[in-house]
Parts: sequence; structure tokens; C-alpha cells
Amino acid sequence: MTEGSIRLALAGNPNVGKTSLFNGMTGARHKVGNYPGVTVETREGQVVKSVAGGRTVIAVDLPGTYSLTPASEDEAVAYRALTESGDRAPTAVIAVVDASNLARNLYFVLQLRELGLPLVVALNMVDVADTAGLRVDAEALATALGVAVVPTAGRTGDGAAALIQAAVAAAQAGTEARFVPPAGARTREILVGLSDQPARARWLLSARAAETADELPLLPEERRAVAALDPGAADAAAADLVTARYAEVDRLTALCSADVPVADRAGPQVAPTMTRSARIDGVLTHRVWGLLAFVGAMALLFQSIFTWAEPAMDLIETAMGWIGDQVVASLGPGLFTDLLTEGVVSGVGNVIIFLPQIALLFLFVGLLEDSGYLARAAFLMDRLMSRVGLHGRAFVPLLSGYACAIPAIMGTRTISSRRDRIVTILMIPFMSCSARLPIYALVIGAVFEADRPVLGPFTQGGLILLGMYLLSTASALAVGALYKRTILRSPTPPLVLELPPYRMPRIRDTLLMVKDRCVDFLKSAGTVILAFTVVLWALLSFPRDETGAGSTGPTAIERSYGGRAGKAVEPVLTPIGQDWRVGIGIIGSFAAREVLVSTLGLAYGMEAGDDDEDGRLRDRLRAEKDPKTGEPLYTPLSGLALMVFFVYACQCMSTVAVVRRETQSWRWPLFMFGSMTGFAYLAALLVFQLGRALGFG
Amino acid sequence: MTAGTLANLGLGQAARVAEITGGGAVALRLLEMGLTPGTRVSLVKRAPLGDPIELSLRGYHISLRLAEAARVEVAPVD
Repeated sequence: MTEGSIRLALAGNPNVGKTSLFNGMTGARHKVGNYPGVTVETREGQVVKSVAGGRTVIAVDLPGTYSLTPASEDEAVAYRALTESGDRAPTAVIAVVDASNLARNLYFVLQLRELGLPLVVALNMVDVADTAGLRVDAEALATALGVAVVPTAGRTGDGAAALIQAAVAAAQAGTEARFVPPAGARTREILVGLSDQPARARWLLSARAAETADELPLLPEERRAVAALDPGAADAAAADLVTARYAEVDRLTALCSADVPVADRAGPQVAPTMTRSARIDGVLTHRVWGLLAFVGAMALLFQSIFTWAEPAMDLIETAMGWIGDQVVASLGPGLFTDLLTEGVVSGVGNVIIFLPQIALLFLFVGLLEDSGYLARAAFLMDRLMSRVGLHGRAFVPLLSGYACAIPAIMGTRTISSRRDRIVTILMIPFMSCSARLPIYALVIGAVFEADRPVLGPFTQGGLILLGMYLLSTASALAVGALYKRTILRSPTPPLVLELPPYRMPRIRDTLLMVKDRCVDFLKSAGTVILAFTVVLWALLSFPRDETGAGSTGPTAIERSYGGRAGKAVEPVLTPIGQDWRVGIGIIGSFAAREVLVSTLGLAYGMEAGDDDEDGRLRDRLRAEKDPKTGEPLYTPLSGLALMVFFVYACQCMSTVAVVRRETQSWRWPLFMFGSMTGFAYLAALLVFQLGRALGFG
Repeated sequence: MTAGTLANLGLGQAARVAEITGGGAVALRLLEMGLTPGTRVSLVKRAPLGDPIELSLRGYHISLRLAEAARVEVAPVD
């Protein structure tokens, strides 16, 4: 073992303080990595010298998992990172264990020991366990496991230096005796047929039993051997291995503690570390108070992305406007200036405008997750989500979609099944996001009597708006249920959700996660959004107006390629009650839905930035007459058709860019864009034609 | 003898896991989360909408849907 090549993998269950320990070791400096085609991340950082005892040590934080059985992407990635070869192979593994929850954590430790890598156990949260009266005898555990056991406290960083020292020593000493679960004869027979490496054979067997072998990177001969297994025999053999590991877990827990409840001992009804949590849950998962508290928490989440982000977003807009003005002032008007201001500066603006919402959503969700409440939210909402065929965890990302699809789609990473994550990602853009509001407001203002009372305190405008939100929600749920039963068919994922003890969330770790998310968005989705903005600008600006036509001629936007395209598609728009100006608006609004308002303004020859642009555009729409019939061009029916179009249409390049990032391919974003545009057109057609047949408009 | 499944435990009632029926990915996950034969499990709570349920075992709490809990056959604690 040469110095300078020490690579320590941190593995462990979720909610054991692993990330906190990692952040403490690396001084909060790390880079995020992921395997191609997979969104699950590993984080890698250099351990600060004072902790590493002057050595160069790299720590790798693996996703938190309960097992190495590849039932989800998280587990597949954890196994892959542990079994890497070459430079990326871990020299030793640190198993981070929650001392107050020894039984389930030790199951994972045994699986790590089976791999035969040098191993050290970080006995984390010893303080919590002590308080709960769960004293763990670290020495007895070390003797029983045959590896070093180092007590740590992730929050304070205590024990980190001793842990690194032990891990380096383990790496230098080489592989310890590995654990082999004592399996029955039939199981051993099956394992021999799978691979000549016993640990690999056990992993292949578990993949077969978890029904995920098809999606994993296996060698051709492994794939054949797995496919040849009898399903019933594979299930029985996999169960045999799990039972054998838990028998060892029971032996170990009995050895190293006097008062940990083991499988065959009558423990109290509520686990010791859970007594405080049980009291909190008395309220937070109560059938009345629990639901009320949940509604309150979600209202706060919603309010934060909806309105608290606004000052920051306004500031970004103002700053971008100011930068644009500076560019104009220093370069003078011209094509290059336009490219810079309307293409590049507004493109950068289009990217960073999302940061406040992303940061707030992840801050909020991160704190909820860390505190243990997010698991309760899934517990409360699972009944509703399982109707669609999804896990309770899909609820919070879906709800966030009302504010903005971008952070919501990024938030689907808490869903472990890939298929279910894609279903949720495809559902989110149907939720009526805040960018649709300006469109609804414009149309309702132009063709309806927004303030006309209908029923009690409700006005026409308010009820139509409510109708749009209900339509979007019902459609999202229906589409989810449809995809779940067709193109992304998979059984409703089992809930099997840990309800961890409530803990104070760790602000530092949450903020680091928020930073990672923002940087990730800027790097991967930002570039695509910037490129789209420049292309859109070019479409709506070329060819340039060289004739200097007066105010009576066609507007500049009308002569552009985008304008011509808008005119060309007019025959398609007539059946949904729209004209070519809306066509241009739809093209322009691909930048972001609310851009429809300003693009329509340009199509009507209004100068951008006019005072009360919205009000004047509204009046203009109201006054516009059909050139053939002399009837008003925009009727309540055509307005309704336009709003329904925007309920469904995926008019948002940022959504497309983020979906590409999250699904790691262009396939899903293109499918989403195509299908949503198709839905939108058909729905608008249905509204307009059916309305006309019934004599409205 | 069995006393039914985890899905029909009463609130606060405890039982021992006898067998997980049906095999497949769900059975494996339930086993790996500690529901091995002989393990003592008690029902802590039902969610406000009746499903899922909260169980306590081996010193921690997990939540299962009734459909999953119904696959865990249990025997009475002695």
C-alpha cells in the first residue's frame, strides 16, 4: 500500500449520519459524481489533512441503503462503487452504523463483510444510544466482527481522526476474514452455478429474487446463469441467505449489548429511541392533527416557492435588465448587441431565475427529510398515491409542481424506482405551475367578466381559474395512472418505509446539499436553456427588418422566421379558435409560458416595456375583430380553448432541459414534449368544436 | 399454528413472524428489513386513511401497506 492512494468508501443505512460524517471529514469540499445513465450520486472529497493525519485520503460517500441487494438504483450504485476495480476501487470501507439501531444496521455490515474488503465500523450516534439506554459494547462488537469499531459523533466530528487511522490501518493490513452466511445445501448448490466468486454469486441471486437482474450490467454468462434459475428456487435461496444473516445479527447484538431488543426477545411496544418520536407522532401522524399539520407544512412549502422566491427572482430580472442596458450603452444598438442582450443576457437570466425556487424547495425538503418528517409525509399520503400506483414519496414533488416544474422534477430523486420516477416526472408538467398564471390572467381579463359574481364570494374569474387548476390536477393523476399501466408498467412499489426517530435537522449538511443541487442545475440544465434562448431569439429576429417599414406594415416579429412559422400553422390553429398571432405567441412561449404575453404584444405591434402592457394588450384582444365576419375575434370560447391548450402544452424549454438531465437521455423529454403538445391540441380542439356545436361562441 | 397476518393485528398487539407468502421482490425486501421468521412485531399505528400501518420490530419502526402486511403470516407470541 503506497501512501497517496488511500480511498475510503463510506457505506451505511439512510438516516445514520453518514453524510454529516463525510462533510465533517472533507471540510465540506467535495465533487458530485454519477455513473452514466443513472441519477444516483456518489460524492467524493479529500479528507482534510488534520483529520487524515497528514496523509492524502479520498473519502467517497455512497448512497444510503438498507441492503446491497440491487432492488433500487441506490443499491445498485452502492454495490458498483464498492466493487470497482483499478483506480476507483476502495482501499477500505467504512461502515457507518447507528448505535441506537444496531440490528438493522448490522445486517448491512454483514453484507459489506461478505465482499471481503478491509472494513472498519463507525459506531455513530453513540450519544443518542446512551441517552436511550442502549449501551453498545464497542470492544465486544469489534471482537465478534473481527474488525475495528470506532465510536463517532457525526454532528461534532468526534472520532473522525481515529476512524481514518483505523481505516488506513485496515487497508494496510489487507483483507480480514470475510463473512460467509451459513446457507443450506440447496442454496449452496444454486450459488455454485451462478459464479465462481461466492460474493458475486450471492449478489446475482439476490438480483434475481429482487427481479432487477435484467436492468443491471451483468456479464453475458452471468445473465444466462441468472435466466436459467427457477424463480421459486431462487426466492427460497435468497430468503435462506437473509435468514442466515439475521441469525448472525441476533448473535452479534446479544453479544455486544445487554439491552438491545433482538428478534426473539419481548421488547417494549415502542422501540427505546422512539419514545420521544412516538410522542411527536402522537400529533404528527394523528388522524386529525396529523393531516392538519401536513396541510400546514405543505402550505408553507408552497408559499415559500410561490412567494418567498419572488423578491430574489425580481432582483435577478432587474439585474439582467440593468446588464442588458449597460451592454446597449457601451456597444450601441446593432445585431451583435441584440444577440448579447436578447440572446445571451436573457438566456443567463432564464437560467438563474430558477435558482431561488430550486434553493428554497431543496432547503425545505432537505430539512424535512433530515428531521424524519418526510417519511411521515409519505406515510400519510401513501393511500392517495397508491391509487395512481405510486409510492407515498411521489406526493411532495408532485405538489411542488404547482409552483414550478423545474425544482419539482429535480425533487423526484427521492423516488427509488426508476420507472416510478419517470412516471412522476411526466406527471409534474401537467400541474399548473406559476408561469401559467399570467396567461390565465390575460385571457380571463380579455374575454370574461372576471369580477362578475357567480355564487357567494366567488366570481367568474376565480371559478375559471379554479377550473384550470382542477383540470390540471385531474389530468396529472389520470396521466400518471395511464403511464403506470401502459408504457411504464410496473407493480405499485412496496411501501416498506422506515419511520426514523425525529432528529434536529443539520443545517450545514442541508445547505451543502442545496448548493450541490444548484450547481448541478446550472451545469447540466443551464447550458441547454441558454442555447435554446439564443436559438429562439434568432428565430424571432431574423431576417432583419432592413426596409424601415412604417407602423402600418407588418411588425418585425411577423416577418421573422418564427412569425412566418406562426402564419404557416394558422390553418391548424383555426379549428381551436386561434389566429397566427397566437401561433407566434406559442412559438415564443417555448422560452417560458409567461413569455406568451409579451410575444403576443409584439405580434400586435406594441413596444416591449410599454406602461401597462398587460392592460393594453387585454383591451386590444377584446377589440380585435375577425376580418371576414366582423365579429369579435376572441370569444369566451376561444379564450377557454387557449387556456386549456396551456394547461396541457409543455411550453417550457427549461422543463425539457431538466427532464433530459434527470433521465439522462433525450428520449423522455421529447416524448413528453410531443405527447403534451398533442394532448393540448386535442383538448383545445374538443373544447372549441364541442362549444361551437353546443352554440357557445 | 398461525394467528392470521400482520394486516389483521389489533392496535398495540404483538405477534411473531411465521412466514412470508408469495415470494418475489416484495418478500425479499420484507425479509431484508428484518421480518424474518420468529421476529416479534407489534402494530403501533394505522395511517389516518386506514392504510398503511406502522410496525415496531427489532428496535425500529417501519411502515407497510396492508397489501404487503397481508403477506406476512404471524403466530401468537408465547
